[in-house]
Amino acid sequence: MKRESGYQMKNIMRKKQLPQTMNEFDQVVKGNSLSKDAWRRLKKNKMAVISVIIVSIYILLAICAPILPIYPYDEIVLDHQNLKPSFSKTSGELMFEKRLADLYTQAWRQGRLTLSEEQNAILETWIDKNQATKVWDYMYVEGNRQLESGTFTFNTAENRTVNNLKSKIATDLQITVDTIWTTDPQTGKKLNVEKLSTEEIVNLYATMVGNTPQQVITQYTVEIEQQILKQIKSESTGLTEAEYQSLLQADLAGFSQKERDNLTKDNVFSKIAAIAKDIAASDLKTAATDATAEFPLNKEIQIKDSLSASVKATKMHERRYYLGTDYVGRDMLSRIIYGGQVSIAIGFIGTLTSVLIGVVLGALAGYLGGKVDYFIMRVVDIMYGLPYMLLVIIAMAIFGRNILNLFFALAIISWLTISRMVRGQIMSLKNQEFIEAARSMGASTPRIIFRHLVPNSLSVIIVFSTLRIPSFIMTESFLSFLGLGVQAPYASWGSLVGNGVGGMTLYPWKLFYPALAMTIFLFAMNFLGDGLRDAFDPQSKNQL
Amino acid sequence: MYKKDEKKILLEVVDLKQHFPIETGFIFKKQVGAVRAVDGISFTVNSGETLGIVGESGCGKSTTVRSIAQLYKPTSGSVVFDGLDLVNAPKNEMLKARKNIQMIFQDPYASLDPRMTVRTIIGEPLDIYMRRGLLDEPMDKEMIEKRVEDLMERVGLNRAFKNRYPHEFSGGQRQRIGIARALALNPKIILADEPVSALDVSIQSQILNLLSDLQKDLGLTYVFIAHDLAVIEYISTRVAVMYLGKIVELSKSSELYHNPLHPYTKALLSAAPIPDPVIERKRQRIILTGDVPSPNKEHKGCYFYERCPMRMEKCATNIPPMHAMGNDHAVACWLYE
Repeated sequence: MKRESGYQMKNIMRKKQLPQTMNEFDQVVKGNSLSKDAWRRLKKNKMAVISVIIVSIYILLAICAPILPIYPYDEIVLDHQNLKPSFSKTSGELMFEKRLADLYTQAWRQGRLTLSEEQNAILETWIDKNQATKVWDYMYVEGNRQLESGTFTFNTAENRTVNNLKSKIATDLQITVDTIWTTDPQTGKKLNVEKLSTEEIVNLYATMVGNTPQQVITQYTVEIEQQILKQIKSESTGLTEAEYQSLLQADLAGFSQKERDNLTKDNVFSKIAAIAKDIAASDLKTAATDATAEFPLNKEIQIKDSLSASVKATKMHERRYYLGTDYVGRDMLSRIIYGGQVSIAIGFIGTLTSVLIGVVLGALAGYLGGKVDYFIMRVVDIMYGLPYMLLVIIAMAIFGRNILNLFFALAIISWLTISRMVRGQIMSLKNQEFIEAARSMGASTPRIIFRHLVPNSLSVIIVFSTLRIPSFIMTESFLSFLGLGVQAPYASWGSLVGNGVGGMTLYPWKLFYPALAMTIFLFAMNFLGDGLRDAFDPQSKNQL
Repeated sequence: MYKKDEKKILLEVVDLKQHFPIETGFIFKKQVGAVRAVDGISFTVNSGETLGIVGESGCGKSTTVRSIAQLYKPTSGSVVFDGLDLVNAPKNEMLKARKNIQMIFQDPYASLDPRMTVRTIIGEPLDIYMRRGLLDEPMDKEMIEKRVEDLMERVGLNRAFKNRYPHEFSGGQRQRIGIARALALNPKIILADEPVSALDVSIQSQILNLLSDLQKDLGLTYVFIAHDLAVIEYISTRVAVMYLGKIVELSKSSELYHNPLHPYTKALLSAAPIPDPVIERKRQRIILTGDVPSPNKEHKGCYFYERCPMRMEKCATNIPPMHAMGNDHAVACWLYE
């Protein structure tokens, strides 16, 4: 047995060791493949290297998005609407500033805050030009100055607002329940409630609220039915109540006992978690108010009897939004990163699919010629004749609006250009002598196409695909802009830009940052395409 | 196996015709004629000899070898190689035969895939036949590697160059790569399609010497195309002269050069310059009148009729067959009936 594995090891080792080449001076000549050579040439091209770095950073960010220390991209914090980007100030400070500017402006309107003639004139021109941000910024500075010098004081209502806001900023907490523990009264061992069986959880919950387990189960069976019914109603509208009921029964009949148990378990558990969160919130609120606790904090709190929960609490308004927030208070930074995920994926996967289809069909048409060529090219001509956007929109409308269908719709339309290009390339190559040489040594058609013809048209394909990626991203953003692309809460650069256009003058960061992220990426892709073209051409004069 | 002077026929071409259709029509193609590139030629090639084919541009030399190699499907006729009719051979038999028929191409720049390294180019035939399982003895990657190196040394290339791309070589070196590739499968016959015409004279002689060395060492048979008469004289055992898709004269090399019979051969030989100024000044040239007729039309008489200085009435209406003149000399002309 041992000997055998030893033999295998040796075999593997030998396979890995490539035969070495010696020149006349007995020096080892290093092997050189097309890709290695291309990489060597690419490394000499500065712009391409920078582009490679940029593109890899983007891709790395997109892939690592779930583990990055950023706020969830779909978490709505209504208090944080339209906060501007800031590195130094917390969201609480920004909220406060915004409110103060608001109050000062109101007071100025009401005539309680008096400014000089010149200042008034400046403010009026800004208002005429719709430059509200300038007005607010100015009023904030001016109001603070007047408040300090005592020429302006808040009235009682305003004082109350300010104080309420201050205490809100100080005490609002963001609480997340990590795990809920139950302690066994006899052994004192702690168990994770989520990992218990359905029965145990139901029992726990029953004793917690003072019901019998049976009552709890009946209550949740009804609740689950209602959830399913709601889902059915949202999926298919316009049916009668009886039809809904029959659909519901059909769905329920499809559940096994285990699935039903799991549903009950999930529901009961989320209920327990909600209770734990409430208790934690009231517990910690006092701690936050009288500043007895340090935030952010991780704490285990007692819920009831044997139940306890590990809770993480942070002050809600101590968040920092480096790229601002959008109209419902979602973090722009994380939305741009997650949006990049979608946009880059659409760019790459869409291009890959369209290039695969286009190259195979184009190569077949070009090399085989005759009827095959005629048929494929007529299909391409016909599809060219149809309006591209309309096709995508129809496809999206028929198959539903999700990301996968978007990939699909873009891919089936966009192979046309590349197949034409590849066909032309291959037609000019196929009468070259090296193809005749390959045929004369018995190479099969697939081998000629994929070993000789396609590699020789690779530079065209690569340049085209790298230029295709930006155009895919653009198309996707256009569709998202029309509301046919990525649906909220998911984001893509296109939908972010689309949303940002709305409040362009008031909240320029909502447009600027996604657009910037997109522009840099598209630039990098273009330079990379150029670099790759030069790198993949062994005869390139542009060897730097 | 056989005595040295005993002739064994390796390749026999019988009434080979290669017509390329001329089509018109946008969607429904209609054949309106044909370019008669090769119009019924017959010859044999004996094992170990070199058959040179000469003729002016467009006379069908290249088409002939491409038809023999089955790069084009011949219109009619047969190509018998080692007892197998290649024209109608099943695919698998064809592949086995193809291993023994390899080609060297005219343009050393276009005949090597610019995306492949020398190693891949020379190893490609081996790779193809390894994958198909048609090699005489199975080879693995290492053995192919070794064979590639051996071949490179054999044709006079440094084996350290095997990772280079074709564009890094000179024309002569590239042609050596092409020769190495043709040798990879140990073929019996090599069809050389003007292998030296794209090279300059000093390189030509190197390549010619290499080819004749290889022939001596490996017992190869060549079908060698050139339009340079000196090259053909140097390398060939027998020579076929082609005109307008027909063989007009076929003979031993020395015989043909000393005793040309066909008027076209005479004119062709008289056109070759002689590298001695004294003789060159006295050289009598036979100037043919008119142009080569279009290969599109069908001929009823001698293909050379329009331009022949010695034409007779008979020539206009009767196609001359090959007349054996003895001493292995055959000519297609009514003069020698």
